[in-house]
This record gives sequence, C-alpha cells and structure tokens, in this order.
Amino acid sequence: MSDVVLNNIGKTYPNGYHAIPSIDLTIEEGEFIVLVGPSGCGKSTLLRMVAGLETISQGDLMIKGAKVNDKEPADRDIAMVFQNYALYPHMTVYANMAYGLKNRGESKEVIAEKVTSVANMLGLEELLERKPKQLSGGQRQRVAMGRAMVRDPKVFLFDEPLSNLDAKLRVQMRVEIRQLQRKLGTTTLYVTHDQVEAMTLADRLVVLNKGKAEQIGTPMDLYNKPATPFVAAFIGSPSMNLIGANLDEQGIRLSQDLHLPLVHQHRGSVVWGIRPEHLDVVDEQNADFALRIQAVESLGAETLIHGTVDLGVKQEPIVVRLSGPHWPEINSLLWLKAPMEHWHVFDAVTQQRL
Amino acid sequence: MSVYFPHKKLPYLLVLPQLVITLIFFLWPAEQAFEQAFYQEDAFGLSREFVGFDNFVYLFNDPQYYKSIWVTLVFSFSVAFSGLAIALWLAVMADRVIRGKLTYQTLLVWPYAVAPALAGVLWWLLFDPSMGPVALWLQYFGVDWNHFLNGDQAMTLVVISATWKQISYNFLFFLAGLQAVPRSLIEAASIDGASPFKRFWTIVFPLLSPTTFFLLVINLVYAFFDTFGVIDATTQGGPGVSTATMVYKVFNDGFIGLDMGSSAAQSVVLMFLVGVMTVIQFRYIERKVEY
Ligand SMILES: Nc1ncnc2c1ncn2[C@@H]1O[C@H](COP(=O)(O)OP(=O)(O)OP(=O)(O)O)[C@@H](O)[C@H]1O
Ligand SMILES: [Mg+2]
Repeated sequence: MSDVVLNNIGKTYPNGYHAIPSIDLTIEEGEFIVLVGPSGCGKSTLLRMVAGLETISQGDLMIKGAKVNDKEPADRDIAMVFQNYALYPHMTVYANMAYGLKNRGESKEVIAEKVTSVANMLGLEELLERKPKQLSGGQRQRVAMGRAMVRDPKVFLFDEPLSNLDAKLRVQMRVEIRQLQRKLGTTTLYVTHDQVEAMTLADRLVVLNKGKAEQIGTPMDLYNKPATPFVAAFIGSPSMNLIGANLDEQGIRLSQDLHLPLVHQHRGSVVWGIRPEHLDVVDEQNADFALRIQAVESLGAETLIHGTVDLGVKQEPIVVRLSGPHWPEINSLLWLKAPMEHWHVFDAVTQQRL
Repeated sequence: MSVYFPHKKLPYLLVLPQLVITLIFFLWPAEQAFEQAFYQEDAFGLSREFVGFDNFVYLFNDPQYYKSIWVTLVFSFSVAFSGLAIALWLAVMADRVIRGKLTYQTLLVWPYAVAPALAGVLWWLLFDPSMGPVALWLQYFGVDWNHFLNGDQAMTLVVISATWKQISYNFLFFLAGLQAVPRSLIEAASIDGASPFKRFWTIVFPLLSPTTFFLLVINLVYAFFDTFGVIDATTQGGPGVSTATMVYKVFNDGFIGLDMGSSAAQSVVLMFLVGVMTVIQFRYIERKVEY
C-alpha cells in the first residue's frame, strides 16, 4: 500500500505568493524520498505542509490511506527533524526525547524503556542527563533524530538536518541516517539542497524548481536521463556542460564551423549537453573540438580542467573531468571527443528531453 | 578600548552636573537623614537632642511599623504578581495578532508615559464611591464599594493603580521575550503532541523565566520605593494605615506627624533595603537565570 500520497498539492501563502503550483507524488511504504532543489524552490514549504505546520491550499494529502489535510501535526503520526534541531533548551536530552511520549500519556516505564533503547541505538547513553547547550553539533543532531525515532512514527520528515555540520561529520551522519532508515523501515521524506546528499540517500529523488517537480525518479534515472536541462545541470558535480545549439539535417550545430553529426527528425534550437566525466581526451584527428585550458584543479584521484571552446561568436566554458592526476599547461589546447551515447539533447523551447 | 582625553579637566566638567545633582538631591539628604536618625527633635524643629539608637529601638518595638511592613509586602507582591500576570497575558495575545500589531503595541505602551500622580487621580475618579463610574457600576452589582471606609478595598484600589502603569513596561519585555522564542521549538512541540496550553506552560514559559525573574525584581523594587505618588493621590495611606507602605509612613510620620527622628530612622532602614535590593539585582540579573 502506498504510504503517503500527495495529490495535486499546492500552496499559496497568505501574502499571495504562489510557492507551489501543483505537485503529485506517491510514496511507497519504507521508501526514502529526497526533495532537492535550489534555495527558495519550495522544499521546506512542501515538507511543512506534510508535517501540518503550513496549511494546504489545494489538493489532498493522504497518509496510510486517510486524508490528513486538516489534521493537527500531532495527529498525523509524523516526526520531524529540524535544520536547527529545535531541541528544548531547558530540558535534558532524556526529557527532550521523552516529551512526545509524555504528551501521548505513555507510562513512565514505557517511556524509560523506549528512550533508553533509542539512546543505545544512537550512542547517546552517556548524554541523557545533559542539556542541549552542553552538546556538540553532531550530538545535538543525534538527539534530534532520537527524539523523532522514539515515537516510532509512520513518516520521518527531515529538513536539511545536516547543513549545520562540518563536511566530514556530514558524510558520517549521512551514512548513519541511511542505515537507520533501512533498519527501521520508516517512510522518509528528506529535504536538502545538496545534490550529493540527495543522490546517496534517496530511493527516489524529487527535483523541485520554482515549486514544480521537474523530475521524479531514482538517482540513476536522473543522472542518466535527466528530463530537463535544469535537472541535467542540478544533478552531478561538477555540473553537466550545456550548450545552446541548433538541430538541422547534419546534426547538432554548435557554431558556423562546428557540428556534431546526428540523425534526428527534430528541427530548431536545442540544448546540447555532456557530463564532464564523459568527455574523452583524444588526438587532433579524432577530436570533435578543442578546449583552450584556463584552469586546472587537481584533486589527486581526479582532475578538473576548465576551459573554453571557440564557437566563433562566443567562447563557451566547458569542464572536463579526468581520473588521476594530470598537469596540462594553461592556455594550451586539449582535443576532446564527445561520445554520442553520452549526449543529452533537450528542446530549447519546451525544455524537454528529445 | 580606552579613550584618551587631551584635556585633564574636561571629563570632570562633563560629569559635574550629574555629580552636583546627586550630591544635592541624594547624598546630602541621605546624610541628613542618617544624622537625624540619632536625634530627637521637638515638633517645631527648634531644638534637638542626641538619643543614640533610641529611634530605632522605638521603631522596632512599634506594632504600627510591623503593620506597615506587612502592608508593603502585601502591596508589593500583589502589584508584582498581577502586573506580571496581566502583562504576560496581553503579550501572548499581542504576539498572536498579525493585523494591526503595531497599533495594539503602541496603545499598550501609553500608560507608562502617564505621570504616577495622574494615574492615581484617574483611578481615584473612577472609583470614587459617590460618583466614580466603576464604583457605581460595582454598587449596581451589589458590591458595596467604599475605599474610604474599607481597608481591603483601599488596598485593591492602590494595587490596581500601581499595577496599571507597570503593565506597559512588563508587556514590552514579555513581548520581546516571546518573540525571541524560536518558532521551530513551538512547531517541534506541536508535532510532539502538545496542546497550545501545554506548549505555553512547558516550553514558552520556562524559556521566558529569565525575563520573568528580571521583571519580578524590577516590579518589587517599583512597588516598594516608587509608588508614593500613586498612594498619595488615591488613598493617602488610609483608611487608617491600611495602605500606608513603609515609604508612605516615612512621609506621614515626618511631615504630617512631625516626628523627624522616627521618620529619619525609617529612611535609614529603607536605604538599607535599597542597598540589599541593588545587590540582588546586580548579582542575579547580571548573571541571568539559567534554564
Ligand atoms: N510565510 C511565507 N509567506 C510568503 N512567502 C513565503 C513564506 N515562507 C516561504 N515563502 C516563499 O516561498 C518560497 C519557498 O520557500 P521555502 O522555504 O519552501 O524554500 P526552500 O526550498 O526550503 O529554500 P531553502 O533551501 O533556502 O530552505 C520562497 O520563495 C519563499 O520566499
Ligand atoms: Mg528550507
């Protein structure tokens, strides 16, 4: 049975701002869904509507088959982890985790048992008597998760829970969240603007752009077959190279003198794209175009080469990603081939994949 | 950071007016009162006689003095409690209002700008047993209101007039305190299944405790030392001595009863209290209340 269903959900704020026009999403039981998109695209708005912290302006929200549009947050059987953790500062870690159970009228023994077992799972046993301000950022994050977990909710909601942590801890917690979620099997809706986090955590991703779902799919679907240039640019790091071009009888015409042969019935302006990791360095005869190198970023395991391709009227910036260390000279030319199986072509007008 | 003044005299010149005022209106009278407390003066102020601690001994053996301490305590705690409770309630309401927020807040701050004596007269008029609208209205409902005869009613009246003014001040602090409570805490609590009532008492109110404690001290100090004007304008300490606080008694004994020695001794006791309160204020408020 599908667990959470968003049916034509929309949000208009009281000031008239149309944050989310309409979204349809069906989440299966135990699924880990990540909402990803740039700042201000409506991720938090959507999550908060599911939580019951924002009213739903339009559409139906179903949890376990029941319509919950007008239910209080407490009655939706959800738990949420906030970006700033929102731990009650005047309560101990134990009291923070026990608060929700207490409000439900659980007995002291049951509360103690549940809190202890979750604390053990998260390694919080030693911290139960501390106040939040006596904890490190990572520990606070754990407590916030513990508080969500003790209530054993139907749905977990996370709003950028890792964005206040340093890079290393973020990776560690990311792995941990995924493992915990697998173990508990709780349906999860997770918001982030970090595409790496999104790719690694998600069973399915929802890419939001200006309140619209650009594409919904597995991380590999989105990587291999982005539906729009927006998704293409958003998923993958560094971003996909996207160049405005024309599709004619001879193929993709990038400029007066440069075209990539392709047989396709579509005619007109298109966006042509290829990921930095799919460009091959070749010798001059086999190359599709030359890159004038402007900057080299060596990361040891891989090298990012930034440069421009001369398209006559304009210099188009292109990034190439090569494995291993490379030390090409700045301002020299790098001959590149773009294998056709890695091309992404989008209609420039409809922004849809061709 | 240190500031360097090229002129050696300028800084002294700048603080001089403040120093002169403190000297003339505070230190000098304080010194006079301190001296006076050890003398017995005749009613016309023509002669006086050194009596040592007699004035204090007499004072602390006087049941009337204990009565005034009791009146002060009842009065001060009533003022502080009702002032805090009403202000908190208003602040919670104003915090919820979205439209016309500023108007409410401005209106609620006005009473603070009214002079204490004026506030006293206002309430005196409203509650006047023979023509005050509130008094007549109470009488209509069968409450026999006459604060000239009934000591408890007189106390109620002075508490109301003293509280009324203080509500604005408390309100501002509570409102600021409420607005400083992170929204996400309230949201987390509502997801955790706490009703609005429970959210307030288990989350918001504990988080306001530093503000509440600060205001409690401020209000007690106000009620102790700064309500002479209000009492004088409404009940003049009466009926009998039922609303004569310690401060009012200093005035009454000194300027009406012309017992300068006792009045001065009472002033010294009050100065001592001010000192204690100041220490409390600095010690605890500066350090903030831990939650
Ligand atoms: N209470 C509100 N009233 C009016 N507009 C709002 C309100 N809250 C948010 N918005 C607007 O709705 C849009 C979506 O906001 P939202 O907070 O959902 O973005 P987000 O995707 O979570 O961004 P971020 O990654 O920065 O957290 C933004 O343009 C924001 O300005
Ligand atoms: Mg957000």
